Amino acid sequence: MSDVIRTEALTKMYGKRRGLAGLDLEVRAGEVYGFLGPNGAGKTTTIRILLDLIRPTSGRASVFGESPRAGGPALRRRLGYLPGDFTVSGNQTTRQLLTHLGFLRGGVPASRIADLAERFDLDVSARIGSLSKGNRQKIGVVQAFMHEPELLILDEPTIGLDPLIQQRFLELVAQARTAGQTVFMSSHVLSEVQQSADRVGIVRDGRLVAVEAVETLRRRAVRRVLVQFDDPIPAEAFRDVDGVSHVEIHDTQLRCRLAGRADGLLKAVARFPVAEITVEDPDLEELFFAYYRGEEANDAA
Amino acid sequence: MLRSVFGKTLWDQRRVLASWSIGVTAVGLLYAVFYPTINTPEMADVLDSFPTGFLDAIGFTDVFSAAGYVGSTTFGLLGPALIIIMGAALGGSAIAGEETSGRLDLILAHPISRWSVTLQRFAALVVGMAAAAALLFVGLVAISDLAQLGEIGVANLAAASLHLALLGIFFGALALAVGAATGRPGLVYATVAIVGVGSFLGNNLGPTIEGLAWLRDISPFHYYAGGMPLRHGLQLVDAVVLFVASLVLVVAGGLLFDRRDVAV
Repeated sequence: MSDVIRTEALTKMYGKRRGLAGLDLEVRAGEVYGFLGPNGAGKTTTIRILLDLIRPTSGRASVFGESPRAGGPALRRRLGYLPGDFTVSGNQTTRQLLTHLGFLRGGVPASRIADLAERFDLDVSARIGSLSKGNRQKIGVVQAFMHEPELLILDEPTIGLDPLIQQRFLELVAQARTAGQTVFMSSHVLSEVQQSADRVGIVRDGRLVAVEAVETLRRRAVRRVLVQFDDPIPAEAFRDVDGVSHVEIHDTQLRCRLAGRADGLLKAVARFPVAEITVEDPDLEELFFAYYRGEEANDAA
Repeated sequence: MLRSVFGKTLWDQRRVLASWSIGVTAVGLLYAVFYPTINTPEMADVLDSFPTGFLDAIGFTDVFSAAGYVGSTTFGLLGPALIIIMGAALGGSAIAGEETSGRLDLILAHPISRWSVTLQRFAALVVGMAAAAALLFVGLVAISDLAQLGEIGVANLAAASLHLALLGIFFGALALAVGAATGRPGLVYATVAIVGVGSFLGNNLGPTIEGLAWLRDISPFHYYAGGMPLRHGLQLVDAVVLFVASLVLVVAGGLLFDRRDVAV
């Protein structure tokens, strides 16, 4: 049994509203799996089923080979969970909360809590109510990792974290992976998962539409690029550059889209004096379309 | 305190519990100290002028004995009203309130069953009610001489306080059960209000209306005060009925809680 998480035709209806429409998912032991999709695609619904907070309308889900409901507390003992909306009472200190949650987990050494708090620059003696949203999110991350669970289920873990702390978080994920832990994390931003994930599953409208190695996705991702030159550039300068499309040139400015390797574009740009360059994160919707186009192209070939 | 959901719940509620206990006690004692001023011929004339039906409805009977007075006021009207509201607040927040605020997900994702959470929160509620009733009891004993309540006796005051705690536990269990079953605080408070007022009137007025005497038998107030613990001490059967009914409610709520989806 190498699948840590497995779902088959998992469906969840909220009354008439669809949460999941037949999701098939396989997460292997020891991998970091990025669960990527726009808001409302069904990421949180999937995660809450895995934790037995809600029950599927039809289909099956299993974690370590057991249904979340039948597995009960014994199964959840092996998990760490960061909710998408990490909300706790503000009227307690971080240390009190983490100690309490540690006890529910069967005991977590105080040194482990202190170590993680230090890594995330978290003052454990402060009242949670006095903390910023980012600092509360750090508490959420710490409580999910502190008991070193076999499986981490993280719902949009880096929301509200500043870039430096995001980096610390990614290090923590990498360490977990080295230690043989499995990580299942959702996100609606590709860049967030591509740094840490081995594979990425793309969910849309309650279905898994693609599973790819991160490398493949990165190659397919389309980024918007904006370059500001010192001088006006000729209109035909960026025709037929590898991976570049939608070229628009206005006087000293170039707008275009870049898919895959950046080498061709960079060398084309370097022929002129460059004042400024902006590369946007790939947009998920565009990623889907790129993916579908790729599929169609393959079918045609 | 931080080792279990039970301990953590009490810890989190320490200020709320202290406020409620002081509130219940203060209001109860405020009534009780007026006994010497009520126990006069003038007041008897005033009360005679009210229609007996009205006095029955608000539970005023025999207010010229200490037990009758304290039983009609502290333990008859505002004490129960406050303890029921306290039950609704504590029981409603135990699951439905936590759920609406989004805090329940994290606890339930831990290795603890929904049953265990339900029962531990109920246990915390029992302790909270016991604390409020105990403080009221201590207060009443303290002012006993001043308020000329000596004829009631410490044992009977303790019995009445225990019955009051059990009434609070019953309505707290009702609130907890409705919250566990539905996750909707609004429904919790509506249910407690309707059952509270309904059973109060049912107990007092049911027997006076032909064909509605059975209302008294299903009213928790009957088991709370029907045996007059201020006069006759602990009514063991009534007390057991209230506590068992509370347990039945909690178990029913827990069963439904275990089957449903937890709201985001």
